[in-house]
Amino acid sequence: MRNKLILPTIIVGGTALVACSMQPEKNSMLEDAHSGYSLAQSNSDVTNLAAVELQEAGKALDKADDAQKKREDSEVVDHLAYLAKQRVAIAEQTANLKVAEVAVEDTNTVRDKVRLQLRTAEADASRQKIATAQETARINANDLATANASAELSRQNLAAQSAEADKQALMAKESSEQSAVELAAANARVSAMETELKDLNAKKTARGLVITLGDVLFDINKADLRPKGNVSIQKLADFFHEYPERKVLIEGFTDSTGSDNYNQDLSDHRANTVRDTLIHMGINGTRIITRGYGKEYPVASNLTTAGRQLNRRVEIVLSDEDGNITPR
Amino acid sequence: MKIKKTRSDRNMNRLSVTTIITVTAIMIAGCASNPAPSEQLAVSKAAVTNASRNGGNEYAPLELKSAMEKMDDAERAMDEEDYPLAKRLAEEAQVDAKLAEIKTDLARVQKSVEESQESNRVLLEEIKRTTQ
Repeated sequence: MRNKLILPTIIVGGTALVACSMQPEKNSMLEDAHSGYSLAQSNSDVTNLAAVELQEAGKALDKADDAQKKREDSEVVDHLAYLAKQRVAIAEQTANLKVAEVAVEDTNTVRDKVRLQLRTAEADASRQKIATAQETARINANDLATANASAELSRQNLAAQSAEADKQALMAKESSEQSAVELAAANARVSAMETELKDLNAKKTARGLVITLGDVLFDINKADLRPKGNVSIQKLADFFHEYPERKVLIEGFTDSTGSDNYNQDLSDHRANTVRDTLIHMGINGTRIITRGYGKEYPVASNLTTAGRQLNRRVEIVLSDEDGNITPR
Repeated sequence: MKIKKTRSDRNMNRLSVTTIITVTAIMIAGCASNPAPSEQLAVSKAAVTNASRNGGNEYAPLELKSAMEKMDDAERAMDEEDYPLAKRLAEEAQVDAKLAEIKTDLARVQKSVEESQESNRVLLEEIKRTTQ
């Protein structure tokens, strides 16, 4: 039995020994560390920026390989492989950190640039704003000047109009004053005329102003004027000299005593006597019209002496200012 | 511990002294080849504390946690006088802490880059508005 067992035992043990010496036991942790390290080596950031850390990872990996070669406990190999793996990670992260630090520098540079741009832009904007404000102010000033000029023009126009109005008002005043003077003069003349006519015993009637020369100025049955009558006629002549626009109608009347023919002739004569006297006193004959009416148009009763005396008369009718006389 | 001085006691005493000497000799020999890795533990502890203070908890929580756990294990191994294990754990805690610190730094810098880029973008927008 014992001999039977010896051979297989030797074979198995030998095989195991051979296997061990030919193929050292693989360590997965160490494999991981190796592949990680290879990856890191192919990364240019790591080789450039974390050379020292990568070198340390390499040393750690060598140590682990060495331990594996010396067939140390798997605990020890695992441990060294873990350290190597972490060293690789440290190298990688260090490279990343360096890259990030460069990025910080870059962004800071960009930030400074951008800030400068912003300040420039703000300055430009301010300049633009000021320019715009100045332009606006200039336009406003122009507008103001235009408005002032326009206002000045209006003021001048107004002043001119006002001066014109003043002038016209002055002219109107002067004109009205002159009118007033003329009116006063006219009034004075009218009033003077009225006074003169009053002296002649002129009466206002429907036909105008009528002056009656009574019988007393004539002798009975005569057509000659008495001296007193001459005085009255002289007043009348003065009046006509003064108012040359006036014309006159001279009417002769008698009482009813005597024949109609006689009375007609007598009335004609008496009217003509007055006319001739006026002509003699310088009054133009064209201004004088005469009429004899005989015993017609009595102004009192012919039955009494007093009445008849009133009816024996000459009436002098004055024209208006235009020379019109309303006949009977 | 009281030792009674009897014959058998004396024999025991002789045995004990021999044993103590032998054990001490072995321990000294052991210590010579596997000294307590106090220095490594101190270095690792400092690295872990540093990573923790640096904000590793926020930016590299996995690495920091691994480092701290290994540190605790290393200290326990020291208490149990398993110095090789203590040394290995401490060494691993050190590289973990170192990785946590670098990752934290990297995260900070990347964040700062992002903020700067955002701020630049805002500034550029402002320029655009200003020049419009």
